[in-house]
Amino acid sequence: MLKRRIRYRVPIMLLLLIVTVALFGRGVSESQNQQKTEIEFWHPNSGLLGEAMTELTEQFNQTIGEEKQIVVREIYQGKATDVATKLRASLQAQRPQDLPDLAQIDATGVMDVRESDYMIPIQNFVEADPDFSLEQLQPGTVLSMTYKDVMIGMPFNASTILLYYNKDAFSKAGLDPERPPETLAELAAYAKKLKITAPDGKSITQYGFAGVPSTYELVSWIGQQQGVSYITDKRNGHDGNPTQVVWDTDGTLATFLDAWRNVYESGGLGNLTSDVRQQFIAGKTAMFVISTSSLATILDSVGDRFTVGAGYLPKVDETATGGVNIGGGAIFIFDQKNDARRAAAWEFLKFLTSAESQLLWHQRTGYFPVNMDTYELDEFKQHTDANPLFGVAIDQLHDSDPRIQSVWWPNSYQAYYDIQNAVIEMLEGGVSTDQTVQSLSERLNRYMQEYNRMNP
Amino acid sequence: MMTTRRMQHMINAIVATVLGLIVIFPIYWAFIASFFSSAEFSSWPPRLFPSSFSFTHYVRALTQSPLLKFMFNSLLVSGLGTIVRMIIAISAAFSVAFFSFRGKRILFFLLLGTMMLPPDALFIENYLTVSRLGLVDSYLGIMSVYLLGPVQVFMLRQSFKSIPKTYHEIATMDGCGDFRFLFSVVLPLSRSVVLTLSLHSFFTIWNTYLWPLLVTNDPNMRTAQVGITMLGYADSLDYGPVFAAISLMVLPSVPIFVLMRNRIAEGIKAGMAVG
Amino acid sequence: MNHQKKQLLHRLKPYLFMAPALLLAYVFSYRPFLRTIANSFSVVNYSGQIIDFVGLENFRNLFADQNFLTSLFNTFRFAGYFVPLNLLFCLICALLVYKKRRFAAFNETLFMLPMAVAMSSAALVFRALFNPSIGVVNYLLHLNIQWFNDPRWAMGMLVVLGIWMAIGLDFLLLVGALRSIPQSIMEAAEIEGAGPLTLLLRVQLPLISPTLLFIVTTRLRDSMLLSGPVMVMTEGGPLRSTQTLVYHMYLEGFAGGNYSKGSAISVVVFLLTFFLILLAFRAERKGVFYQ
Repeated sequence: MLKRRIRYRVPIMLLLLIVTVALFGRGVSESQNQQKTEIEFWHPNSGLLGEAMTELTEQFNQTIGEEKQIVVREIYQGKATDVATKLRASLQAQRPQDLPDLAQIDATGVMDVRESDYMIPIQNFVEADPDFSLEQLQPGTVLSMTYKDVMIGMPFNASTILLYYNKDAFSKAGLDPERPPETLAELAAYAKKLKITAPDGKSITQYGFAGVPSTYELVSWIGQQQGVSYITDKRNGHDGNPTQVVWDTDGTLATFLDAWRNVYESGGLGNLTSDVRQQFIAGKTAMFVISTSSLATILDSVGDRFTVGAGYLPKVDETATGGVNIGGGAIFIFDQKNDARRAAAWEFLKFLTSAESQLLWHQRTGYFPVNMDTYELDEFKQHTDANPLFGVAIDQLHDSDPRIQSVWWPNSYQAYYDIQNAVIEMLEGGVSTDQTVQSLSERLNRYMQEYNRMNP
Repeated sequence: MMTTRRMQHMINAIVATVLGLIVIFPIYWAFIASFFSSAEFSSWPPRLFPSSFSFTHYVRALTQSPLLKFMFNSLLVSGLGTIVRMIIAISAAFSVAFFSFRGKRILFFLLLGTMMLPPDALFIENYLTVSRLGLVDSYLGIMSVYLLGPVQVFMLRQSFKSIPKTYHEIATMDGCGDFRFLFSVVLPLSRSVVLTLSLHSFFTIWNTYLWPLLVTNDPNMRTAQVGITMLGYADSLDYGPVFAAISLMVLPSVPIFVLMRNRIAEGIKAGMAVG
Repeated sequence: MNHQKKQLLHRLKPYLFMAPALLLAYVFSYRPFLRTIANSFSVVNYSGQIIDFVGLENFRNLFADQNFLTSLFNTFRFAGYFVPLNLLFCLICALLVYKKRRFAAFNETLFMLPMAVAMSSAALVFRALFNPSIGVVNYLLHLNIQWFNDPRWAMGMLVVLGIWMAIGLDFLLLVGALRSIPQSIMEAAEIEGAGPLTLLLRVQLPLISPTLLFIVTTRLRDSMLLSGPVMVMTEGGPLRSTQTLVYHMYLEGFAGGNYSKGSAISVVVFLLTFFLILLAFRAERKGVFYQ
C-alpha cells in the first residue's frame, strides 16, 4: 500500500514543479544587473545589415551603456512588414507592456503608429535636449518623418533607390559600361541589347532588366513628374489619412505606364517578382532597381564574378526631373511609462545617429548617413573615393527634390501586390493603360475608404 | 531458379528503396548543405557533396542565435503541452465514462463540438484573448490554444468505456477513491491508447507554426519552428547557418525514430483500431 | 454538516472533472468563434471593437473581391492536387512494402523519416532545392521552371512539400491497414483466381476503406487550413497564385488590421470545414466497408 503511494508522489511533485515553472516562466533576461536600465529595440535587419546592427549595439552597451548604466537588447523581428505587424498587434490589444522601447519602422508601418498614444514623437525629445539639434540631420530625412508638422520618428536608415547593372554584360553587348541609361526610353533600348536567349530559343539566360514596379518604385517614378507629384492626396498621407489616389487625375500614372510598356515591348524586360536581387547576382539579369541599402550585400555576394555598376533611377521621361524619394526608415520610441527607460532610449538613439555610428552603418550597408557631420569625416571621404558606388545614392539625393515623399497608406502589403498584379496584367494581358489606371485606382481607393470608415 | 513471386518481391523492394531514397533526399541534402561554403552554394550545376567539412556554419548558428533555447522551448511547449492536454482529456473522459450526471450528454457533445472549430481559423480572436491576459511571450501563452484536445477526449472515452462497469462498482464498494481507481485500474488498462495519443499530441504541437509566431516576440521564447525561419530570413543568400541549424534539429531525432520505429508504428495502429 | 458537504462534493465531482476541459473549450473555441461571427457582421475598428453592424455587407464585398475569390480558388486547387496525389503516392509506397519481406523494415524507416522533420525546416530545405538558380530539382530533372516566379508552378512546390510532410503518417496508416487484412481472405481470393489487380481493387481497397476515408478527410481539412508553408515558402506569391484562405485571413486580419474582413474569411473557412466533415460522414455511411 505504502509503496504505491510513494511511487506516485514523486512524479506528481515533479510534474507540479514543471507546471509551475512553465506557467510562470517567461523569457529569461540576459542582463544580470538589476541597477541597469534595460531597453528593447526591434528591427528588421538581417545578414550583413544585422551584423552591423549587432556591432553598433555592442559598441553602445560597452561605452555609453556602461557609463550610464543602460543595456540595449536588439531583436530581429523579421522583415519590415513583420515588425509593423507585431507592433500593430500589441497596439491593438492595448498592451504597451508588450511594446519595445524602440522600433525601426519603414514607410509601410508608419500608419500604425503615428496616431498612437503609446508613441512619443521624437520632436518631444529634441526639444527637451539642448545638446541635440535637428540641424545635424539631413533636412530631407527630417521632412520625410514629419507628420502634421511634428517630427515623429528619428531618421536612421536612409536610402534612395538605385539602378544596379552588370558592367561586364554592358561591355559584351557593346554598351558603354560607364554610362547607364538615364530615361526609361533608354532603358528600353539597353534592355533590348542586353537580352540573351538560350541557344534552344526557348528560355532566356539573361534579361536586360528584371522586376515589376510597385509602391516603392512608383513613389519616385510618380513623384518626379511635373516637378513634384504624389500618389495620393494629403501629400501621400503626410498631412493626414489619405482618402484617394491622385495619380489618375494628375495623369502621372498613365505617363509612367506608357513608358513602362515601351520597356516591355523592347523584349528585354523580365516580369520577375521575387528574388530579383539574387537573379542579378547570379547573372540572370543585367539590370534591376533596388534600394542602396542592398549595395554592400550585392558587392559581397557578387565577389569578383563581374563588375557591379550603380546609377541613378532612370527618369520616366526627359521632363520628369524631380529625382527620387528618400526611403528607408526611422526609429520610433514607445512610452513605457518609465522615465529611466525613456531617457535610455533617447541616449541610444542619439548614439545611433551620431556621425561615427552613421559612418559605420553606411560602410557596412549602403544606407547613406543621416548625420551631416559624417560627410565631413576623413574616413568617409576616403571610403567614398575608394568605393564610388557608395556615393551614387548621395549624389542622387542632392539632385532630388526633398518634397517627394514616401506614401503612408493602409493595407500597404495588399497595395504592393495589387500594383504589381495590375502592371503584369497590363503587360501580359494586353489591358489598356486607361483601364489599368482605373481599376487599380478603384481598388486602392477602396482600401482607404474602408480604413477611414473603420477609424473615423 | 527464381519464381515469379520472388522476382516480384525483388522488384518491389528495389522500387521501394529508390522511392525511399528520393524521399529522404531533402534530409540528406540539408545535412550536406550545412557544410557548403557560400560559393559552393551558388554554384551551378549544384553540388551534391561538399569539398570540405568545415563547421563554421554550425558555430555561427549556435553563437549568433539562441538555437539551443529554441529547441528547449519547443521541447518544453510540446512536452508540457502534451502532458497537460492528456491530464485534462483523461479527467474529462473519466468523468463521462464512469459517472452519470445531469447534462452529461450535452456537455460531452459540447467538448466534441470544438473539433469543428479549427484553432487556426480563430487565431485573430485568440490572439486578442491571450494578449489581454498578459500571456504574450510566455510558455503558457504558446500552449494555451492546444490544451484542449477533443480527439483525445473522444478516444479516451471509447477506451475507458471498454473497461467493464463492474470494476468501478466493486472499487467504489471497497472504498476506493476516484483517483486511486483512475491511477491503479483505468490508466494501466489504457496504457497503449494513452501512449499513442500522447505521441500524436506531441507531434502536432511540435509542428505548429502560425500560432507560436504570433504569440512570441522575444527571440528567447521562440519555438524551433519559428526561430529557424528567423535566421537570415530576408537574406536568402545566407543559407549555411540555416541548414546547420536544421541539421542540428533533425539529426538527433533520426536515430530516435529509427529505434522507436516499431513502437511508434504500433501506437498509431492501435490508435486507429480504437477509433 | 460534514455529511452534507460530502454529498455536495459527490454531486459536483463529475462536473469538476470536466471543468478544465469545458473552460478551455469556452475560452479558446466557442467564445472566439462567436466573437468572430459577430465581427464578420460588423465594422470593427483598429482596436478590435465593434462600432457598427452591417449585416451581410462584408460577405457581399468579400465575394465581389477578386482577391478573395483567388484565395478560395487556390485553396481548392491545392486540395485538388494534394489530396489525390498524396493518397496515390502513399498507397503505392505502402503496397510496395507491407508484405514484410526482407527489406521491408529498411524501406519502412525511409518512408517514415519525414515525420522527424518539422514543417518550417522542411519548407526552408525545399525552398533551396526548388530555387531555379542554385537548386537541385531543376538540375536533376533537366527543367528550367521558375518555381518562385511562375504562377503556374509555384503551387507545385507546396503540393510536393505537403505530400512530403504527410508521407510519414499516411504511409504508416496504410501499411497498418493493409497488414490488418486477414491472410485468410487474401488466400481465399487468390485461390478463386484473382490476379493482383483484382486483389487490389476488389479486396484490399474496400477492406481498408475506413483508413482511406480517414486520410482523405484529414488531408482535405488540412488543405482548407493551409497557411504555414505559404508563409515560409512563397508568401502568397507569385501574383497571389499560392495565396490560400487562412493566409489571406492573416494578411487582412493581422497584417492589414481589417478585422471585419478577416473574420468574414474565418466564417467561410468554418463553413467549408464543416461541410467537409458532413461529407465525410455521408461517405462513411455509403462507401465504407467495415469488417
